[in-house]
Amino acid sequence: MRQRPGVVLVAGFGGLLLLMAAAEVGALLFLNSLRHNDTTLQARFLARNRTLERIRSNIYLSGTFVRDSLLAPEQSGARAQLTTLDGLRRDSENALVTYASALEPEETAPFQDLRSQIDAYWKVLDRTFAWTEAERGKYRYAFFYEELVPRRTSMLQIADRIEALNEEALRRGDVKVGDLFGRLQLGLLAMIAVTLLGGATLAAFTIVHILKLEDEVQKRLQESVHSEASLQELSARLVRAQEEERRALSRELHDEVAQAFSAVLMEAENLLDLDPAPQVRAHLDSIRGVAGKGMNEIRNMALLLRPSMLDDFGLLPALEWQAREIGKRTGLRIQVASEMSGELPEEHKTCVYRVVQEALNNCAQHAQASAVEVCVRHEDGRILVTVQDDGSGFDPERVRGLGMLGMEERARHLGGTFQIDSRPGRGTLLRVELPWRDVVAREPKLATQTVWDGVPYGANSHPAG
Amino acid sequence: MAQIRILLADDHNILRDGMRLLLERQPGFLVVGEAADGRETLQLVQDEAPDVVVMDIAMPNMNGIEATRRIVEKHPNIGVVILSMHHDESYVIRSLKAGARAYLLKDALKAELISAIHAVVEGRSFFSPRISQILQEDYIQALGRKNSDDSYDLLTGREREILQFVAEGKTNKEVANALNLSLYTVDTHRTHILQKLNLHSVPELILYAVRKGIIS
Repeated sequence: MRQRPGVVLVAGFGGLLLLMAAAEVGALLFLNSLRHNDTTLQARFLARNRTLERIRSNIYLSGTFVRDSLLAPEQSGARAQLTTLDGLRRDSENALVTYASALEPEETAPFQDLRSQIDAYWKVLDRTFAWTEAERGKYRYAFFYEELVPRRTSMLQIADRIEALNEEALRRGDVKVGDLFGRLQLGLLAMIAVTLLGGATLAAFTIVHILKLEDEVQKRLQESVHSEASLQELSARLVRAQEEERRALSRELHDEVAQAFSAVLMEAENLLDLDPAPQVRAHLDSIRGVAGKGMNEIRNMALLLRPSMLDDFGLLPALEWQAREIGKRTGLRIQVASEMSGELPEEHKTCVYRVVQEALNNCAQHAQASAVEVCVRHEDGRILVTVQDDGSGFDPERVRGLGMLGMEERARHLGGTFQIDSRPGRGTLLRVELPWRDVVAREPKLATQTVWDGVPYGANSHPAG
Repeated sequence: MAQIRILLADDHNILRDGMRLLLERQPGFLVVGEAADGRETLQLVQDEAPDVVVMDIAMPNMNGIEATRRIVEKHPNIGVVILSMHHDESYVIRSLKAGARAYLLKDALKAELISAIHAVVEGRSFFSPRISQILQEDYIQALGRKNSDDSYDLLTGREREILQFVAEGKTNKEVANALNLSLYTVDTHRTHILQKLNLHSVPELILYAVRKGIIS
């Protein structure tokens, strides 16, 4: 079903082109033959006319020669005339044979007539040659005027008829050529009409089909754009939800669970103050130890989930804490530099923090680096984050971990870009750009006040207790 | 000896109760009030005129650092002891800059709390040994990171003496008396110390001293 329009298009266009080509070639051939026909017709007419003319002049001349021979004073003079006459006769015979070779049907009767007349004419002439001197003197005038001239006139009349017939044939041929030409014209007109009609149909079909296809493509494109957008939205919401969850969990652990441990510590201290028996003291010491350890672990867990400095003091203190922690754990030398004025919006702050956290963890785990430089800058309406290590590097085309995908996702949610520049043996430069116009910078006083005036500790997020 | 008036600021009742019990058992200590958030603390400071405020950082309605800043601004003689769960230097330095003079972790022993209260009443600084230790470790690591020479070597013997006094919270006059110098000389030394160590305030100087292990 998918291929049908294609087949129809190819067949339609191919057929149309073939039709046009055939029509042109046919017309050319037809014109050529028409021209040839016409030329042949003319040539044939002229040739026949010439032959007829020859016959006619021969008949005239023969009459003249016969008269001269009859009027010649002596026999010997007549003989010479007779020889010439014989030549004329042979020539006439030849001309008659030539003319007879292509006779029109309606010419047959007059031609036969002419032929027999001519034959009879020669025979009559033959008779005069046998005449003696006396006979010639006696009959010659009568013969000439009563026999020869009427015969000659009748022959010439026949020849005229034939000539008229020949002309008639030429005219008929012309009419035939005209007919043929008319038919060619008609054929060509029909062909043009058919071609135009076919072309128009084909064009209409093609246009409709293309419009349908375009419509479909547009619909598909919109669908895919739409689904891409909702996927993005979903992923952004997931990231936000996860971050929110971490923040809540971190704060809960820090403010409630750890505080409970600290209360246990305090109570143990109070009991110790009562100067208990040595056995009880030992138990209290043990409680203190366990509670202290628990408190530390909860605190570390809370920091790992989401460092409180990020919400309390902002990005740089959180990044510095992160750098110190990883440095302490792995021995990696991490420098953090920041050229920021004012505090970033929540989402940007979290994005930068998480990206740097992931990058530093990668440096510590995979890169075999000894030093890392983290830099956060604000310039030209964007935040530029770079993490450069001196580690082993890798081929970003081939290695694409989940962590890196996560960083890229986070950057993209905020309309930013994520780039990795690394080659095996050359270290790695990670670069994230986030578009951000610093609205806070215009009102610096407000910014510094609000950051640290109980905002993270709102009554809602902090149940009294 | 006059009693030391103490105000407790923490949003956890159970912790305040325990602390009150602990402190009131000490001779010379009197707990004059308990506040559950920053604003209440400011109000009670106004009403009760305590000598010392034992302050948590994470509190609703204004956190402990902001409350400290406002208290010290108005009453420079009130000693603020921060008692917090946070052990990162970002909290310590901000607390010091806000005017707190002691910083304890919440797993502090009773003895630490008592020492800290006495210290701030006398105008000195005090830090949990755990805090000193963490700050020093960070400092040593930072030194290694930067590969830089220790600027402490640039100080003269006299400057090191004065550095310790200042870090302990002594005023210029007290230092001048102790070392038998003129007030002007002490001030000049102080300026030189800050310049050589690339520091800009007394809190930074105190943090530096803790990191170097000069005070604890």
